[in-house]
Amino acid sequence: MTSSHPSPAGPAAGADGHAGEDLLAGYAAGTVDGVATWSVEAHLAGCGRCRSALSAQVDAERLARNRSVLLVRTALPGGGRARRLLCRCGLPDHLLRLLAATPSLRGSWLLSVIGVLAVVAGEAAAVRYGWVPAGGPGRLAGYRAPEVLAPFFLVAPLLVLAGVAAANLPMFDPTYRLAVAAPFSGFTLLLVRAVAALGAALVLVVGAAFLLPGPGWLPVALLLPSLALCAFALAAATVTDPRVAAATAGVLWAAPVLALLAAAHGPLPIVQRNAQFACVAVLCASAVVLLMRRDRFEMGWAR
Amino acid sequence: MGEMTLDVSTAAVRVDGLSRRYGATRALDEVDVTLERGITGLLGPNGAGKTTLLSILATANEPDAGRVLVFGLDPRDAAGRVEIRRRLGYLPQELGYHRHFTVAAFLDYVAILKEITDRRQRAEEVARVLAATGLEGRARTRIRALSGGMRQRLGIAQALLGQPDLLILDEPTAGLDPEQRLRFRELLSGLPGDPVIAMSTHQADDIAAICPKVIVLLQGRVRFAGTPAELAGTAAGRVWAAGERDDRAHLSWRGGDNRWRHIGDHPPAAAELVAPTVEDGYLLLSHAAGQ
Amino acid sequence: MRPGAEERDDAALLRAVARGDEGALAALYDRHAGWLTVRMTRRCAMPDVVDHAIQDTFLAVWREPGAYRGGGDVAAFIWGIGIRRLIDAIRRENGARRRLPWRAAEPEAVVSAEDQVLVGVEHGHLGQALAELSPELRGAIEATVLDGLTCAEAALLLGVAEGTVKSRCHRARVALRAALADQHSGPDGAAPRREAWGTS
Repeated sequence: MTSSHPSPAGPAAGADGHAGEDLLAGYAAGTVDGVATWSVEAHLAGCGRCRSALSAQVDAERLARNRSVLLVRTALPGGGRARRLLCRCGLPDHLLRLLAATPSLRGSWLLSVIGVLAVVAGEAAAVRYGWVPAGGPGRLAGYRAPEVLAPFFLVAPLLVLAGVAAANLPMFDPTYRLAVAAPFSGFTLLLVRAVAALGAALVLVVGAAFLLPGPGWLPVALLLPSLALCAFALAAATVTDPRVAAATAGVLWAAPVLALLAAAHGPLPIVQRNAQFACVAVLCASAVVLLMRRDRFEMGWAR
Repeated sequence: MGEMTLDVSTAAVRVDGLSRRYGATRALDEVDVTLERGITGLLGPNGAGKTTLLSILATANEPDAGRVLVFGLDPRDAAGRVEIRRRLGYLPQELGYHRHFTVAAFLDYVAILKEITDRRQRAEEVARVLAATGLEGRARTRIRALSGGMRQRLGIAQALLGQPDLLILDEPTAGLDPEQRLRFRELLSGLPGDPVIAMSTHQADDIAAICPKVIVLLQGRVRFAGTPAELAGTAAGRVWAAGERDDRAHLSWRGGDNRWRHIGDHPPAAAELVAPTVEDGYLLLSHAAGQ
Repeated sequence: MRPGAEERDDAALLRAVARGDEGALAALYDRHAGWLTVRMTRRCAMPDVVDHAIQDTFLAVWREPGAYRGGGDVAAFIWGIGIRRLIDAIRRENGARRRLPWRAAEPEAVVSAEDQVLVGVEHGHLGQALAELSPELRGAIEATVLDGLTCAEAALLLGVAEGTVKSRCHRARVALRAALADQHSGPDGAAPRREAWGTS
């Protein structure tokens, strides 16, 4: 700030063109007037030395505190686009972060599910698209070779059930003991994880179902059975050991499908109208039991 | 939070007649304990019931019989349980970690479990406990890459989140070297709010170094409650050092100075009485219980 | 430290941040957080809000270091991010508190005629004219010109309606033109190295 006009001699400008100590101190304290601060700020924009001098005027502890909080926040994973999208849809950020620990949402799990679905849907898809000749007795109107659907019908809801089980069973949660002793509602945690696991698994299952030969409603036909199965398992977990509950649910699904197969019908009856109504009934009853006995989840799973 | 009246008098945690069985084993048998503000050590061998008692205090477990009151709140009551958990920091004996988690992500996760929903507040809390346990530079390290001592410190850090009034630490000094143990003691002594701290250990010198109060638990029963000096005092007059082994003593071993140390009722020949340590008192109690 | 050398260091630090070097971010923080805190405090009196804005600023630098195109001051780049994070923080705070909008850091109530504050020659006549403006007009000019905010952002910062900001800027310009026309306005011997207006 070389002066070609005789400026009023003041405490501010140093002879070397930098802002003087007093001016900086005044600026930091907020006692310097508007126009002079513009001059200071304009100078600061280009002068590292005065910036450092100004930094010395700030409370060191405050700077250190903000620094450590900053480094923690940079250390946390920022979350992918999916998370930001969900946040914008109104889902609370802390619930989404809770899900970061869920095994059923991790890439490795989802890839495995896709792999299994590819296998069981593969043959059926091959039949549908004619890569493999369809044939055999018992062709029913509207679709070919119904028995190729059996593996998919058997496995798909079990995959959904497995996802929900993996998300919640204590054996899959290394921090389970901490969660029990923490104030966060065990039931809320369960629901958040179950819904997320259900969503992820159902998207994959329904997507794979589009490859299957059969009536047009086939992809959504497995929604209700899967939901009913998972709801039943969760409700049963309030009564008995959760692993037993999950296993029982799995058996209760596998048995009818296998029985139908053994009787040489296709597995389609299990997703037709009467069965869908039965699934709705099971779903509602399980939901009621679950809600009534939700305190069970607050004390941990094992007695 | 805060609607429930808290009893913040000195006897912050009261346990009456607590019993717990696992099948045929009696893990706890009519245990009466009172915990006050400050550090109380729970001393006993593995299987003595320390972990069971601590997990019951941490509301992670339920007793078969007896009563627990934490700050006047009863964990059998659902609302009381949640209130206790809000004031609780718990380090279980086997603390598990999600394998892929970093230090900061893990602490963030636990902070959410402690109902800190605002992410800036969470970051501040995480930064605070990292600084308190000396793990600042490790925020981005994966947990599986930490050494054993650092993992232990991480366990303590997660217990400190939320500034708990009741801190339950199950074997927190396992895996710490003497210098770390000193820092651990400084850390516990300097906690804001003067919380009630209950920590378990099977090493008597931890008690001597860290805890102003000690409770000895043997086979599910409380055998002693008092200060470490008093515990040492129970062995007064019954500890000797001699040049040779004595078969009549209850316990006998060769000490670091190449002399034999005996605990027993009858002085061996050519032995001199020595001042008892906390460990001596503990060993004597163990021996008595073993009979 | 020569100004040139430090600026190179800053740009090098930003490149390091782009490569994921956390230490470089910490170094940038150590260098810039101090003056940033002061500058923000001048515009917002609430220290908690400023703290959040500081954290958010460097977090934004960490997440998008590529936004710095390489031309000009790193300090100015950081300030550009910072002022907008400050406004976001203020908006959140207002939303959270639902109180009357606070005011920016109170300018000294009235500019007194005997104001002894030194104004550098960069301002010279302009500075005098500016000093004669009322605080509200000056605040509006500062927000829109010096900080480069839009009228909407300036309105949020100052706690007034957007239309008010626009009219104040207009009145300020009118007043400045009039004031400058009254003064001797021959060209100075030493041409100012920096424009008073567009330094950021």
